[in-house]
Amino acid sequence: MTGSLSGVASVIGIGQSDWVGDHSRVRAGERPHDSYGYGAQAFLSALADSGIARDEIDGLIVGPTTAYERVGELLGLNVRWGGQADAMTAVMEACMAIHAGLASVVALVYGNDQRSAQVNYGGPDAQGGAAFLAYVYHAPWGFTSQGALYAMMARRYMHERGLSEAELGEVAVAQRLAASRNPRALMRKPISIEDYLASPFICEPLHLFDYCLINDGGVALIIAEAGKARSIGRAPVAIKGVGRYDLNRGATSLEPRLLDYYLPAQQAVAAQVFEMASLGPEDMDALQIYDSFSLHIPLALEGYGYCPVGGAGRFMRETGISLAKGLPVNTSGGHLSESYMQGWNHQIEAVRQVRGEAGDHQVEGCRHVHYSSDVAGKAISIIYGA
Amino acid sequence: MANSQPVATLYDAPMWQSLAREHMQLQSCGHCGTLRYPPGPICSACTSMDYHWTDLSGGGQILSWVRFHRAYFDDHPPPYNAVAVRLDEGPIVVSNLIGPEPEGEWIGRRVRLTYRCHLDRTQHAFMLFEQS
Repeated sequence: MTGSLSGVASVIGIGQSDWVGDHSRVRAGERPHDSYGYGAQAFLSALADSGIARDEIDGLIVGPTTAYERVGELLGLNVRWGGQADAMTAVMEACMAIHAGLASVVALVYGNDQRSAQVNYGGPDAQGGAAFLAYVYHAPWGFTSQGALYAMMARRYMHERGLSEAELGEVAVAQRLAASRNPRALMRKPISIEDYLASPFICEPLHLFDYCLINDGGVALIIAEAGKARSIGRAPVAIKGVGRYDLNRGATSLEPRLLDYYLPAQQAVAAQVFEMASLGPEDMDALQIYDSFSLHIPLALEGYGYCPVGGAGRFMRETGISLAKGLPVNTSGGHLSESYMQGWNHQIEAVRQVRGEAGDHQVEGCRHVHYSSDVAGKAISIIYGA
Repeated sequence: MANSQPVATLYDAPMWQSLAREHMQLQSCGHCGTLRYPPGPICSACTSMDYHWTDLSGGGQILSWVRFHRAYFDDHPPPYNAVAVRLDEGPIVVSNLIGPEPEGEWIGRRVRLTYRCHLDRTQHAFMLFEQS
């Protein structure tokens, strides 16, 4: 593929704030940091992990919850290139900037005080309405919250594709098992399918355990040009492929959700990302899937060809998606059980798995990790490898 | 909390006025006839910016539905439903099913457009076709 981004850049450093400790403090009524403070902690941790000096950084991308200039100012980073993006777009843009010669070492910094600042994702001041009209347009009918958008999608998907409630529950159960082995995870008490089915509905058919957590924290990555990354010494993790396809038509009236289940977007991205990486689904040792809600997992399994379309329920139940059985998905516990870092925690988990540094939740012999997100029908994939 | 509020762009206002008259209208593309929901400045099917406001047959079919068990707005105490209805003319609208609820499966049931006074506005709602 001409102009391929495969192997152009590698992750040389990862870092995070103390999600578990800060969550306890926030629940006790404290405000340990704001979004900038969490981002700063994560940055320092990633910089130390990389072994490079701060003045080697010449690019900066900040998450959507902080202002670009202020982060650069606080961290003392004058750079050649920079911007603001969500997790998956930030990784892609870092590769693009490095490929274009606009930067050689890019810091990605995310901090979010959503829990202590009492950010709402539904109701009269629902977050995200400025970017996604569907988040606010149906409010007069009480239809609000991103959970409700996925509940509406889940109901029809379950009806059309034959996914049972208990099969969807496999997601929450598998990810909680992973979290139980991960000391960085917030929710570590294992649950069963029976616990899942007995948990309260928030927006029916979705249960409490189908929803992501809401917590404070930060994540950072340092991404370097591949040659430079190799010269640094510590085993870099290569970005082997990236891909993106967005469904925008009919988005506010929920057409990509209710008529397509995002499938055409994911299939387009699958073709792009697997070709770029010269790998296929059968080469992936673990998946990291953006999981604001459990439904994202069956959608991605079908969309990327890990199982036939309509076969996700059976795949999750029989083959398995946990560290104990089958194809491990969200090996840290993901947004449902580890930490809701809006896709950022999935990136550093992918790096830990490829490095073989995931401890008790390590996938044995993990060489390739596929990250996927499909938020609001914007499908993005990244393949990480040794 | 607070009450729910409609999004009121330049293009939404005539639709809300038609709802107030209990005679809902949507924009119909002047070139290809595609209906727009939400209202907007351009046809996403053919890119024509021409349109006229047109009546609806009132018929539709339930594509999906949810039931809220958590309170998000003062004016919507749980539990309450929301339905995604595919209008016979094509657009999908999110609304509420009022009156008797279906026994058994909701998806695929025929519904008809009706109106409901809510706070200081009139908004669309749907009823099962069999109950009309």
